[in-house]
Amino acid sequence: MDSAFAQRRRRDLVVAAIFAAIAATVPLFVKDVYVQNIMVLTLMYAALSQSWNILSGYCGQISLGHALYFGLGAYTTALLFTKFGVLPWFGMIGGGLISAVIAMALGYPCFRLRGHYFVIATIVIAETALLLFQNWDWAGAALGIDIPVRGDSWLKFQFVRSKLPYFYFALALACVAWLVTWWLEDSKWGYWWRAVKDNPDAAESLGVVVFNSKMGAAAVSAFLTAIGGSFYAQFVSYIDPESVMGFQFSLLMALPAVLGGIGTLWGPVLGAVILIPLTELTRSFIGGSGRGVDLIVYGTLIVLISLARPQGLVGLFSFRRKEAAR
Amino acid sequence: MTAETIIQSLASGLLMGLLYGLIAVGLALIFGLMDVVNFAHGEFLMIAMYATFFLFAFFAIDPLLSAPLVAAALFVFGAAVYLLVVRFAVRAKANAGMVQIFSTFGLAIVMRGLAQYFFTPDYRSVTHSWLGGKTISIAGIFLPVPQLVGALVAIAAFVGLYFFINRTDFGRALEATREDAGAVALVGIDKNRVFALGWGLGAALVGLAGAIMATFFYIYPDVGASFALIAYVTVALGGFGSVFGAFAGGLVVGLVEASTALILPPSLKSIGIYAVYLLVVFIRPRGLFGSI
Amino acid sequence: MTALLETKGIWKRFGGLVANSDVSVSVERGEIVGLIGPNGAGKSTLFNLIAGVYSPSQGSIVFDGEDITALPAAERCERGIARTFQVVKSFETMTVIDNVIVGALIRTTIMRAARAKAHEVLEFCGLAARADVPASQLIPSEKRRLEVARALATEPKLLLLDEVLTGLTPIEAQTGVELVRKVRATGVTVLMVEHVMEIVMPLVDRAIVLDLGKVLVEGKPAAVVRDPKVISAYLGDRHAVGA
Repeated sequence: MDSAFAQRRRRDLVVAAIFAAIAATVPLFVKDVYVQNIMVLTLMYAALSQSWNILSGYCGQISLGHALYFGLGAYTTALLFTKFGVLPWFGMIGGGLISAVIAMALGYPCFRLRGHYFVIATIVIAETALLLFQNWDWAGAALGIDIPVRGDSWLKFQFVRSKLPYFYFALALACVAWLVTWWLEDSKWGYWWRAVKDNPDAAESLGVVVFNSKMGAAAVSAFLTAIGGSFYAQFVSYIDPESVMGFQFSLLMALPAVLGGIGTLWGPVLGAVILIPLTELTRSFIGGSGRGVDLIVYGTLIVLISLARPQGLVGLFSFRRKEAAR
Repeated sequence: MTAETIIQSLASGLLMGLLYGLIAVGLALIFGLMDVVNFAHGEFLMIAMYATFFLFAFFAIDPLLSAPLVAAALFVFGAAVYLLVVRFAVRAKANAGMVQIFSTFGLAIVMRGLAQYFFTPDYRSVTHSWLGGKTISIAGIFLPVPQLVGALVAIAAFVGLYFFINRTDFGRALEATREDAGAVALVGIDKNRVFALGWGLGAALVGLAGAIMATFFYIYPDVGASFALIAYVTVALGGFGSVFGAFAGGLVVGLVEASTALILPPSLKSIGIYAVYLLVVFIRPRGLFGSI
Repeated sequence: MTALLETKGIWKRFGGLVANSDVSVSVERGEIVGLIGPNGAGKSTLFNLIAGVYSPSQGSIVFDGEDITALPAAERCERGIARTFQVVKSFETMTVIDNVIVGALIRTTIMRAARAKAHEVLEFCGLAARADVPASQLIPSEKRRLEVARALATEPKLLLLDEVLTGLTPIEAQTGVELVRKVRATGVTVLMVEHVMEIVMPLVDRAIVLDLGKVLVEGKPAAVVRDPKVISAYLGDRHAVGA
């Protein structure tokens, strides 16, 4: 039984490596910039959703305010670069650390709140941060920050001639998020998070310090999300409060995990791969009169999944049957 | 800033607060009834506003007259949402929290998308309604008539709700189901019927608010989102499940919003509400009057 | 030799209600002690006070020589107190073995060791065949055993059982009794709250009877069962029971 479990773990790793390898070769065949753009976004959302999944899926603390960390990551990188000339690579780490610290600080009051109170608190906190940034002149207020791009540079993590470096970074980020989840899944943290999610009282009786557990999940989740935000800032080279801290981001980080399978290893990836291209393509195919269609599409998907298959789509794939048992 | 301006602002805030209470009470009712937060509540408001707009634009029915119609339509809509969506959501065994949140959230997104698709994102407004744009002076304070009427409607609604819940059979069934759905079933009351009617009532109340608000707010697909947050904050502040809490919470929110607008730039006016909300909820997780 | 667990002058008030008044009991190492009494006697309250779910209004609790009165539940588990819940609280989205691994992880962070320990405990409790089944699919008596298995995985010195034998069929109850005896045989002390007298009395070494929040009587089961105060408490006429 032990070896069957270890086998499954190894197989997950092998499958991930294969997928990553295949994904890495795709840009060699697909040269269309528009499609490459979708791929970059898909990978980014896979990474973001995987990070969100750590706190909200595994640990069960559903957050709809994760745009806060995304935005903090974006702003930290952008501000450090434009105001102090700090390279985005350092800015990224800085953004991650700041987000982790803030996530834990917010955890103190928030983790005492029950289910829906917690969700609403996360929404309110993110909205508050949005409003503050919109009125913070030093950070560009509502006009935001323009990151000056002067040609390709790995040092400054900016590229004009091709989207490929962004693609590979996003792929790397998605892989890192996946690996972190894979590793944590079979660790004390992973088990204790799931225990906290299912029954905090029982978890406590078994020695789990529920509060610390939640804090750990929040910190890891926020850190990774912020890195995604930093990446995004460099990718689009212009950020403003609405575009990086808006509620739509919080939602878009959650939906792939919900669709694919909340609290599962592959759920966020599967969800992102389905949802992001779908929304981008519906948006452009139906053209000008298509506004709102992407919302209709993924709104409907989410309602259907929540009602008909709350464990997500991931269980439909046979080799994931054990996951579906959860 | 004179004392006059302050009183003006606060009076205005009080009126808005009553309206916020009206929007929020439906949410509180639904939650108190079945422990589900309707994350599509803002969108209920949105379609009420659009319905009012279209009745006015196509049939020249003034919002004051169409309000009962809109409320009735929302009643049907609310009941339908329960029967077609929520009823299944509450049966979830695994990931129950996620299911409840995302089923209504998904609905909200669909509704917003449909509104964008059919009505376009253009801002609409109800021009030249009976109430619109008029102000009335009471004891030297200038109060906008739509908000004043809205506040009166809200008060009437709360009084009506009070009598309904405490004096009618159905109202008592509502309360009883709230207390113990299982026991109620044993007595022969169909739980689904009670829940559907509860949702209908909750939706009708926000429908009423929407009809009045259409006279002085712009109407657009995302209008529900900002009011939804205020509604959640109001209910959480007053305490989920407490009808009186929604009323009191609304007043607090209205006053806080007005006071904040006096001190901070208009773009930051919501910060006061959010700050108060976070403060109350951190200190007293169940809100001011909540029991859950 | 000091007792493993001692409660000294425990009072617990909930608002105006006095759930436990001046309760001083002790549990010796290696004993199986039954905590019994009619409904509303304060057994659950005392149980939860020992488990760390509530703090006493007055009094102290000493476990293995240490005053644990201020210690939260999670830390009490670390010290060696494990408990089951009357209304079973399994981790429904996790498999049986994963449930137990959660418990095992307090003693080791090495996953392989935790997994091995979980297997061992499942074997011990007769649930090995159900290891990979989601906990939500177990039948009630299996869920009870899972509660015990999970608690045992934490390698407790004292196991608190909350009505584990209530509501079981006679055969299931007998299996349960065997399990409790097996647990004690491994050196774990057991304190069990129970209602079902016929099952519990042959099992325990000593019985503590609570009534109206106070300790009524304690001693060997045979004696306790015949004590007129106990009979009166269970069968009626509370006014006759003095202070």
